Amino acid sequence: MKEEESLEKLKNAILKGDPHKAIDLVNKSIKMGIQAKEILNRAILKGAEEAGNLYEEGEYFLPDLLMTGDAITAATESLKNSLNEKSETESKGTILIGTVEGDIHDIGKSLVVSLLKGQGFDVVDLGSDVPPEEFLRKAKEINPNLIGLSGLMTMSISKMVETVNLLKNENIKSRIIIGGGIMSKESCEMIGADDFAKDGWEGVKKINNLI
Amino acid sequence: MAKDWTASVNRIFRTISGSKRVDKVPFLAFAGEQMICRITGKTVKELYSSPKVYANAIITTFEFLNTDSINVPSAYAGPSEALAFAEANNKLDAIKWFDYQPPMCKQGVICKSEEDIEKLEIPDHSKNNLWKTSLLAAKMINEKIKFPQVISLSIWSVVQELRGIEAYKDIRRNPDLLLKLCEKIFESQMDVYENWLEIVGMPPNVFIAGYAFNRHMMSFQDSMRYEGQFIKRMMNKIKVPFMLHNCGTSPYINEVFKEIDFIAINGSHPLDIEFWIDFKKKNPKIVIIGANIDVSREMLTGTPSDVEKKVKENILNLAPGGRYICCPVCSLPWGVSIPNILAIPKAIEKYGHYPIKIN
Repeated sequence: MKEEESLEKLKNAILKGDPHKAIDLVNKSIKMGIQAKEILNRAILKGAEEAGNLYEEGEYFLPDLLMTGDAITAATESLKNSLNEKSETESKGTILIGTVEGDIHDIGKSLVVSLLKGQGFDVVDLGSDVPPEEFLRKAKEINPNLIGLSGLMTMSISKMVETVNLLKNENIKSRIIIGGGIMSKESCEMIGADDFAKDGWEGVKKINNLI
Repeated sequence: MAKDWTASVNRIFRTISGSKRVDKVPFLAFAGEQMICRITGKTVKELYSSPKVYANAIITTFEFLNTDSINVPSAYAGPSEALAFAEANNKLDAIKWFDYQPPMCKQGVICKSEEDIEKLEIPDHSKNNLWKTSLLAAKMINEKIKFPQVISLSIWSVVQELRGIEAYKDIRRNPDLLLKLCEKIFESQMDVYENWLEIVGMPPNVFIAGYAFNRHMMSFQDSMRYEGQFIKRMMNKIKVPFMLHNCGTSPYINEVFKEIDFIAINGSHPLDIEFWIDFKKKNPKIVIIGANIDVSREMLTGTPSDVEKKVKENILNLAPGGRYICCPVCSLPWGVSIPNILAIPKAIEKYGHYPIKIN
């Protein structure tokens, strides 16, 4: 199998959301002597990008993105483990993320976490129902490039205001993005975040732009 | 002056039936436990402590907000249903309680594994405290202010609570297992309905919380498979008109109305008024409950004057011909200002009397 063919097959495994096949093809590509950066950029991230495009075109849906996310995670982990060369796949930045206090929904957030990890970000997921003080504590500890606050319910907006105020009052300089179907330009301005996303894929794209 | 609930009942139900004998546009709002706690100063556990306390707090809240509708927020097959499943399956650890908002289920904990789904016990709602309290509160509201209570059912919102993100992977990975879960939830929903019949009586309508009908979530074909087909089965069993609350930012409203015979739509999106004008033209007999007064925009960050403008726009475009109920989308958040909520009935008073004066 030629280099181009191997990478194409890996990209298709990512697109189809097949983690086992993706791991197998990562290993085969490494054995063929293809550089990790090439595997990551020309197959794994290319697959992620194409999946995102298909989602925007209405060909892919949340289940497809989630399966793609699983395949990306499996492939990148395999790549790191096989090479043990972290420098070749170094972090694109650190992201602190969580669903705000009083809200325990996490489907959108989980999608974002999965795709960001696959794209080479270090992601610290605080889970759901996270108090403002916990966001602050962790932000002080890891100094993230970006903090993502997720929330599905209308009632989450007031908790986002509280969280952002606390972070800013404590001089946290990280960019802040809020996510959830109820978010709008107006509520984003009110909350004091740098940007907002209405769904997981939009969140991933905007985070890439913010960092 | 005491609230005239009889006038509100007439306004709402005549609008739903398409009658011309409606004095003005009705006002419907989704005020959940948060808003009831805020207005009455009680905690959620206090509200749930007795049907009488709960019913009175609900009446106080909806009267304060001057709505034409009233409902028991926990008598809705979302979080309450997840709680019932948690109790029936000895997984109460999955439930998180709050002081001023409804209890919620940690998504995906109750049906974490395939075995959890296979062994999932259907709740007996007659033995579940929250459901008993909710249904008795609904009965009391029926009796006290003579407002017939509408039952709310759902499939996919419960799937999300029980199975979490895995449900979306199951769509591709294990559809038969997912259908098995949907089937169990359907069975449970029918138990809710049987209990409703016994305690509250025959509902005038069924309100479906349709969470699957959203293109961000899944294809339309899948939404019909995992929610639509079950709604059709509910319709075969419950012979009253059904209304749809279509949650989500990119709903399949036109597609759903071609497949399922709902009599009313409460869509949380789109926010473009032109969509709703077009929808009304194409579906003149469908009641629009909405349409674009947004709780995360003008309701939250605007002024009463901003809200008035939105209500006026909605009324002038959607009320002529009837079958229009003014309603913000979606549930009123904790932080929304009370003057902004009260701006809705005030604007209805100004612009919403029939016949609607366009200029």
